[in-house]
Amino acid sequence: MSDNEVTLTIDGKSVTVPKGTKVVDAAKQVAVDIPVFCYHQKIGPLGCCRMCLVEVEKMPKLMTACTMDVAPDMVVKTTTEKVEKGQKGVLEFTLLNHPLDCPVCDKGGECPLQDNTFKYGPPETRMEFNRANNAKATPLSPVITIDRERCIACQRCTAYSERIEQGQGLVMLNRGFHNEVGTFNNEPYDTRFSGNVIDICPVGALTNTDFRFKARTWDLSNVDTLCAHCGCNCNITMGTRLNELMRVEARPNDAVDDGWICDKGRWGHHFVQSKNKILTARENGVGTGKVTSFPAFPLNWTTEEAAGSVAEAFKKIVEEHGPESVGFIGSPYGTNEENYLYQKFFRQGLGTNNIDHKTYQDTPGLPVNHYGFEQIETSNVVLLIASDPTEELPILDLRIKKAVTGCGTRLVSLNDQKIALDNYSSQSVQYKVGSEAVAIDALANGLARELGEPASDVDLAPSGISAEDMKALVETVRSSMKICVVYNPSALSGDAVLRVKRLLKLISKIPTLECGAIPAASMTNAVGAMDMGLLPDFYPGGVPVTDQEEIKNQYGENAPTGTGLSALEMIARAKTGELKALLVHRSNPVMDFPGGLQVTEALKNLELLVVHDMLETETTELAHLVLSSNGPGYDEGTTTNIGGRVQARKKAFETNQVPDWKIINLMLKALGDETEYRRFSDVTEEISQQVPGYQEISKKSVGKVGCDREVIASVDEPVLENQVQVEAGKDGSLRLRIATYLFAHDKILDASSKLAHHFQSSTAYLNEKDAQKLGIQDGDTILLSMGDVRLEATAMTNNRCLSGGVVVPRISDEQGVNALIDTKGRPAWVDVRKV
Amino acid sequence: MSGFVFSEKQEKEIEGILAKYPFKKSAMLPLLTLVQRAERVVSPEAMVAISNKLDCSPAYVQSVMSFYTMYHTEKVGKYMILFCINISCQLNGCDKLLEHTAKKLNIKVGETTTDEKFTLHREECLADCTRAPMMRINDTYYGDLTEQRIDQILDSLG
Amino acid sequence: MTQILFKNIDMKDLHTMKVYEEQGGYQSLEKAFAQKPEEIIAMVKASGLRGRGGAGFPAGLKWSFLAKDVFPRYLCCNADESEPGTCKDRELLLKTPHMLIEGMILCSYACQIKTGYIYMRGEFHDLSFIMDKAIEEAHAKGYLGKNIMGSGFDLEIHTHLGAGAYICGEESALLNSLEGGRGEPRMKPPFPAVEGLYAKPTVINNVETLCVVPYIVNEGAEKYASLGTEKSKGTKLVSISGHVKKPGNYEVVLGTPMREIIYDVAGGIANDNKLKAFIPGGSSTPMLPADMVDVLYDYESIAAAGSMLGSGALIVIDDSVNIVEATLRLISFYMHESCGKCTPCREGTRWLYQIVERIMQNKGQLEYIEKMEDICDNMAMKTFCPLADACVAPVVSSIKYFRSDYEAYFKNTPVGSV
Ligand SMILES: Cc1cc2nc3c(=O)[nH]c(=O)nc-3n(C[C@H](O)[C@H](O)[C@H](O)COP(=O)(O)O)c2cc1C
Ligand code: SF4
Ligand code: FES
Repeated sequence: MSDNEVTLTIDGKSVTVPKGTKVVDAAKQVAVDIPVFCYHQKIGPLGCCRMCLVEVEKMPKLMTACTMDVAPDMVVKTTTEKVEKGQKGVLEFTLLNHPLDCPVCDKGGECPLQDNTFKYGPPETRMEFNRANNAKATPLSPVITIDRERCIACQRCTAYSERIEQGQGLVMLNRGFHNEVGTFNNEPYDTRFSGNVIDICPVGALTNTDFRFKARTWDLSNVDTLCAHCGCNCNITMGTRLNELMRVEARPNDAVDDGWICDKGRWGHHFVQSKNKILTARENGVGTGKVTSFPAFPLNWTTEEAAGSVAEAFKKIVEEHGPESVGFIGSPYGTNEENYLYQKFFRQGLGTNNIDHKTYQDTPGLPVNHYGFEQIETSNVVLLIASDPTEELPILDLRIKKAVTGCGTRLVSLNDQKIALDNYSSQSVQYKVGSEAVAIDALANGLARELGEPASDVDLAPSGISAEDMKALVETVRSSMKICVVYNPSALSGDAVLRVKRLLKLISKIPTLECGAIPAASMTNAVGAMDMGLLPDFYPGGVPVTDQEEIKNQYGENAPTGTGLSALEMIARAKTGELKALLVHRSNPVMDFPGGLQVTEALKNLELLVVHDMLETETTELAHLVLSSNGPGYDEGTTTNIGGRVQARKKAFETNQVPDWKIINLMLKALGDETEYRRFSDVTEEISQQVPGYQEISKKSVGKVGCDREVIASVDEPVLENQVQVEAGKDGSLRLRIATYLFAHDKILDASSKLAHHFQSSTAYLNEKDAQKLGIQDGDTILLSMGDVRLEATAMTNNRCLSGGVVVPRISDEQGVNALIDTKGRPAWVDVRKV
Repeated sequence: MSGFVFSEKQEKEIEGILAKYPFKKSAMLPLLTLVQRAERVVSPEAMVAISNKLDCSPAYVQSVMSFYTMYHTEKVGKYMILFCINISCQLNGCDKLLEHTAKKLNIKVGETTTDEKFTLHREECLADCTRAPMMRINDTYYGDLTEQRIDQILDSLG
Repeated sequence: MTQILFKNIDMKDLHTMKVYEEQGGYQSLEKAFAQKPEEIIAMVKASGLRGRGGAGFPAGLKWSFLAKDVFPRYLCCNADESEPGTCKDRELLLKTPHMLIEGMILCSYACQIKTGYIYMRGEFHDLSFIMDKAIEEAHAKGYLGKNIMGSGFDLEIHTHLGAGAYICGEESALLNSLEGGRGEPRMKPPFPAVEGLYAKPTVINNVETLCVVPYIVNEGAEKYASLGTEKSKGTKLVSISGHVKKPGNYEVVLGTPMREIIYDVAGGIANDNKLKAFIPGGSSTPMLPADMVDVLYDYESIAAAGSMLGSGALIVIDDSVNIVEATLRLISFYMHESCGKCTPCREGTRWLYQIVERIMQNKGQLEYIEKMEDICDNMAMKTFCPLADACVAPVVSSIKYFRSDYEAYFKNTPVGSV
């Protein structure tokens, strides 16, 4: 037994637990159930409800097991007469003013109050008076209902708001028996994480408005699956009834979500039943226009039937125009199995490396450890680069706050925009929009100098960072003991991500320092998509296309080895007619790629455009053939979160649509591949054999809580010139930073979304210097334009970025802000003027 | 909500208050008191102003303020009468005197006179028990009350 | 009788620096600074001084519990004085504010504290002006501030007002309140001596406790310890209220017979009525019947009699009083003041109130009494802080000694009224 452990006796059973463990948690280890209401392991002790009374030898009073730390040789008894009387008494008090409306209460069947009363309670109450007349169901927000009459004032929810979410939005008001849970001035409690209070309420006081009266808890089919909204991949339980989504709840997994989910995860899953869901294969004007090079598709095909013909059509085009004439734009939202099979189809089946899934630059693998979420709490420094976890990866936000406020972690950030987490950082260094390469190189350079490595001078001026700030940042990084670098590749322009990797490599050379990184792109399976080789220059597992020997060994003589076209290049070649056919899987280039109308023009130019998606989009409208993709809720497969953890997404709804992996299997078969996958896990099995880093991954090893894949080694990439040029814009133009906004009004959160109350109007955040120069005031409507792409927004000067830049959060599809990205992948210069 | 602004004089005072503590939040009750004494009420707008001063949420301000009985969400009268009804005063007949006071002011306990001059509240022990029955009007303690003395006191408050 | 705190209490302008100094004020500082801080703590320990706020914990011992080598440390003087019946701290603050400052300086020096707060109940706004003035005077004299009297020791003292919450007298609730939060008590451990104000080691003492310290430093621990009984040393301020001829705050030597205090010091029962009961230490202590009036006024004797010396508020009740009515008033107080955090306290106080109210409406039943006792048992010692126990005290003791007053209601013949 180490110094950090304590042995004690609970109900005669000896148990050894780490120092600092609460008696109530120690009891669980030996299957002793101590009833609680207010205690929640993740929130910490409160000691309000007094339900957890136990007897401790040598202590005269009954003690609360939830507030008491274990001590050596402590003897705890939980079933003595004194304890039982205490528990009965507390329960009687608890129930005194609690309505007995279990038959109509949503919590019925899964209510700790009901259960504890059954197990420990008095047979009946001796209360002879009318119950307190607290308010019945009232909205606490558009999605949460509060029944104050059912509240037992345990303070779990308000403690959650204070300690976990740290927004102090939900508070206790008043005093004594007037105590009630509430918000400021009765305003709605609608934070990013509000829904967790529903899960933790031990009675039916806080309920899901969307779920109220829809079904009894025991009538639900519950499926343990993953949230599909962001790269965190939080664990959830989808409760369905008669194949309809009833509710989503958090399913605690310490390695990922720490027990919480964000509100998008809880209320943003109604897209599974969207009216825009694609339910069958569909042809759009096939046989007309340019679609001439292959036989017309018969009408009323199922996707299954269409698969073989799609393969043949692509094959025919390859035969006529060569493998360079076809391409694939995959999805950072698809499962590993789908992504793996699609790249196999295009590489091994059609012989092309024209495969991609993104419009920014990135490469698979890391030169340092790939840290999982739990490492954040044990790091003494977390460095954010271009990352805004609060909007992009909400659970990461909670993790970081927990680390900073509870684990002594220091947060530092290097960012072009101010972010909510700046409130928690000890240093926030801001660089000008578009100058990330300078900022990152300067940091790397500073460290190199300290390390005695070759260093070149970086002129900081274009970044707007002061020398002192950079010096302090260098010092923080250098003097940390364990650092976790969280960077968002999709918010880095040009080759800045490669510079980050060079920086990481440099950090890893500091002998006193442990270092790891989290590539924090917000898309659900961005890491998996790269790992699976949805890249023009890498095979799965980070094998470069140029590594001929390895590729021939692994994939056969005919596997293509030249670098393929990137997604943006494919669009460009479609425009010129060099690219003839394109398959798009769960991606919407028209809306999400730079260029706007130009993308539409390019796609219209294709001989064959096949779009395999789950919802109708602007791109499916252009497709000659639309195949239905199942997508989250209906699909099965694994995804890899930003922490490198591979987990299984399960199917919650029945569908007669064939799963995506099977369709791709059919396509492969049509080209002569004989592999037959009977279930998705057969593909997982192949991945574990084929993909470096995934050797240990199997349906079994992933199980309920997932399994970390091995680090994928990164390849040294040539980085451009050391000193980047940051060009100046012309007068009146600013560099545009598109920011992510969690609750964007798009195909996923459509007009009927439960989260519609979060939708915002288009806003442009300006630096006051620029605003002054341009004569713009808060509230003015301004016009941002680049060529003929225009966007209206309301101006707000809050110095969210340094002067010379403008931040516009993507708030909806209609807003069309992505059309304003420069097609070369750099932040665009946009003209800004008042209308 | 930004309807509430501290006066220049108050800003000065606030500076002095903040200087007393190593952490701003400690100034919570002093700031609430400052507002209550000046406005005779703490409005939601004032709570927002305080939350901005102390870097906390307005909900937090409301949570704290609603715990304490000396802050009011409805404007109280120019003279705030806290009438002690706890045991020592009870033993000395405060109940009848309170009734008398209410009748004299022509209001019920807990109410404010229509001219906003007096508010009458029942109060727990105010720590002047040896002079029971007693009451506090604004900052002044009045002990050894009788009906006549109450009348005199109230009449003298112009 | 020996007078330590009240020796000059009614002297004109004692609250001013001038008069206070003329009476020997602040002379203890020089003596203290000539000694090591530990020596002062040892002296206070030896004096046997116990906390005068209610719990009676030995002051010197408390000071010695401060977490070693952790700084800064804080001193909080508890001037919340809200225990019904108690008004002695008010008199000290009003009439001899410098004595408190002097005591706080000594305590701070002994405990190496550089910042002290006087947490006063919000209703003491008038006293905060007096106190602020006194602090200013002490500053001007160099008794506060940097390098006090060349000793190298610095101290600042600030007043801080609460805003109407009895629970803020409980030391950990006081800390939360002083930190700008709701006055809900904190979990213990950690105790304030280890993690108190701003999570730093903190001494919390009652006004009266701190006011005694200058005497101990001036006159020596032995002299103080020579007064009182074996376990209750020194003198105690008693706030005598209720049905006595001469209500007031008096300083008595611990160990004085209660009878002497009620009949001699306070002049006997008002209107020459008969004594029915007395509450010896503030409303949170169990009441005792008239036939126990010969108990000695010290911590252990009153404890042996089944009550507590508490804050030193002696409430005298004559035989015209219906105990049920008085009890209801006290329950009502605790119901009003419960912070609401603990279920048994929040619900129990209210339930008791409802029951007794119903009894007084002649709608009760005999079983109610048994039920009340059981409710009290379910509340007692099961909550975060002793407020629930405080509510239980008058209920249980009133049933124990004055059951007939309850029973009268069931027989429809209630005993008198206040
Ligand atoms: C509900 C409650 C109210 C209290 N109120 C006061 C008070 O008003 N003044 C006070 O000095 N102590 C009060 N106390 C006692 C304090 O918690 C603490 O014991 C005391 O301030 C310590 O100082 P002392 O050791 O000098 O007595 C109260 C305790 C409780 C449980
Ligand atoms: S016993 Fe009462 S006053 Fe004390 S903490 Fe619990 S609820 Fe609050
Ligand atoms: S679970 Fe221990 S007091 Fe609530």
